[in-house]
Amino acid sequence: MSNEVRDNLKYTETHEWLKLKDNKAVVGITDHAQSELTDIVFVELPQVGKKVKKGDELCVIESVKSVSEIYAPVSGKITKVNDQLDDAPETVNSSPYDEGWLVELEVENKSEIDKLLDAKSYKKII
Amino acid sequence: MGIKSPLYTIHKKLGGKFTEFAGYEMPIQYSSILEEHLAVRKTVGLFDVSHMSNVWIIGKDATKLLSLTTTADATKVGDKQSQYTEILKEDGTIIEDTIFMNLGDKYMMIPNAGMNVIVTNWLNEQVKKYKLDAKAEDVSRDFVILAIQGPKSRETLQKLTNTDLNSVKFFGCQYTKIAGVDCIISHTGYTGELGFELQINPPKKAEIIFNKILDAGKEFDIKPIGLGARDTLRLEKCFMLAGNEFHGGRTPLEATLGWTINWDHDFIGKEALLKQKEKGTFDRMTCLMCVDKGIPRHGCEICKEDKKVGIVTSGTLSPCLNVGIAMGYVQPDFRAEGSILDIIVRDKPLKAKVIKPPFVPKDWAQNR
Repeated sequence: MSNEVRDNLKYTETHEWLKLKDNKAVVGITDHAQSELTDIVFVELPQVGKKVKKGDELCVIESVKSVSEIYAPVSGKITKVNDQLDDAPETVNSSPYDEGWLVELEVENKSEIDKLLDAKSYKKII
Repeated sequence: MGIKSPLYTIHKKLGGKFTEFAGYEMPIQYSSILEEHLAVRKTVGLFDVSHMSNVWIIGKDATKLLSLTTTADATKVGDKQSQYTEILKEDGTIIEDTIFMNLGDKYMMIPNAGMNVIVTNWLNEQVKKYKLDAKAEDVSRDFVILAIQGPKSRETLQKLTNTDLNSVKFFGCQYTKIAGVDCIISHTGYTGELGFELQINPPKKAEIIFNKILDAGKEFDIKPIGLGARDTLRLEKCFMLAGNEFHGGRTPLEATLGWTINWDHDFIGKEALLKQKEKGTFDRMTCLMCVDKGIPRHGCEICKEDKKVGIVTSGTLSPCLNVGIAMGYVQPDFRAEGSILDIIVRDKPLKAKVIKPPFVPKDWAQNR
């Protein structure tokens, strides 16, 4: 069971992480989440340009036995998706915080980010 | 939580993650479903399938009872042979698919997990109704069931027994000793690979056998296998899973289990099946391999040009082929081999091709 939590990221109670750079946010799932899901075999990514509200379904991650919805940690417009996951979905398992990122969002309302969990609070819930 | 297998502590020590299945708390996986799956295809794996049921069929009319209540003619199942069959209602629908073993002195039936009471009661009701001298006795909790499956299963198990395992033919069964413990062995399984299943009583003796098998298989890199890989292994071979492919309401003809029916004997449900056979138009179990990327799941609709023509009963990613695979019922006009159908996954069509079973051929790993 791996449970790495990185200090420089923001987290949700549903195990997504978010990294802010200017007004763009990169989103993925945590090490804890990938470890619980095991063997990720399919990632269904959204269309670039799509607008999502905080809490909306952002994408779908499938393991051999399960289908999991990943939720948008904040509202915004999708500016990039990690196409490499089409051919190598297992990257989410091997590198959840780096190569296994899911989407990049243009953040609509920065105040939503302040409401996310910091590393210390996220560690408490896993 | 559900009933724990007598081997629960061993599974926990081996890193098992648990799931509840038909009232039992069983390991769904240890390391990874993909790794466990491939271990069985390439070398050997060990399963605890104690959630499956054990029912003795005894008495003077035991053979008659089995012939009456299953699609098999039990008089044709000799000593040391086992038989895959179905138990039907009068209307021809499947109550249960099962294996029974002719052990010479009595029969043992292996119904699915959680089906012990339903099957035992059904059989004993027929005993009464047809005035037979026979009895079905539920002994599910008295047995641990292990399955050792994979191309190296025979070599592994042979180290632990004096019985020549080459003499235990496909679907053969007999009493034996494994690691000094009395048990029943059968050359059966649910993976499509070479394999054996062991019925062990009393349950506390199973721990010895389980550990000895893991030791004996070390040279082949044996792995304990959870229910997750058990499901993907059977799906690649298009084996039915009771509760998915049928849970009432489906006949063996619809489930494409016609090959298990011996028409030359009388059995409960035969009249209804003959009528259905004559009529000929009914949905049938169909195997679909995805052309598009994606994974079909239980309950997905199967369509042809926006018209619903079927429904998926089981779906997964095939660990061997790395594509989505599905089994489901499809209307007769749309299931010709090679036909392309759409499986609707999250409102999007996924193109899939009708194939002749199985998805993964025999000795897949050896022939690659």
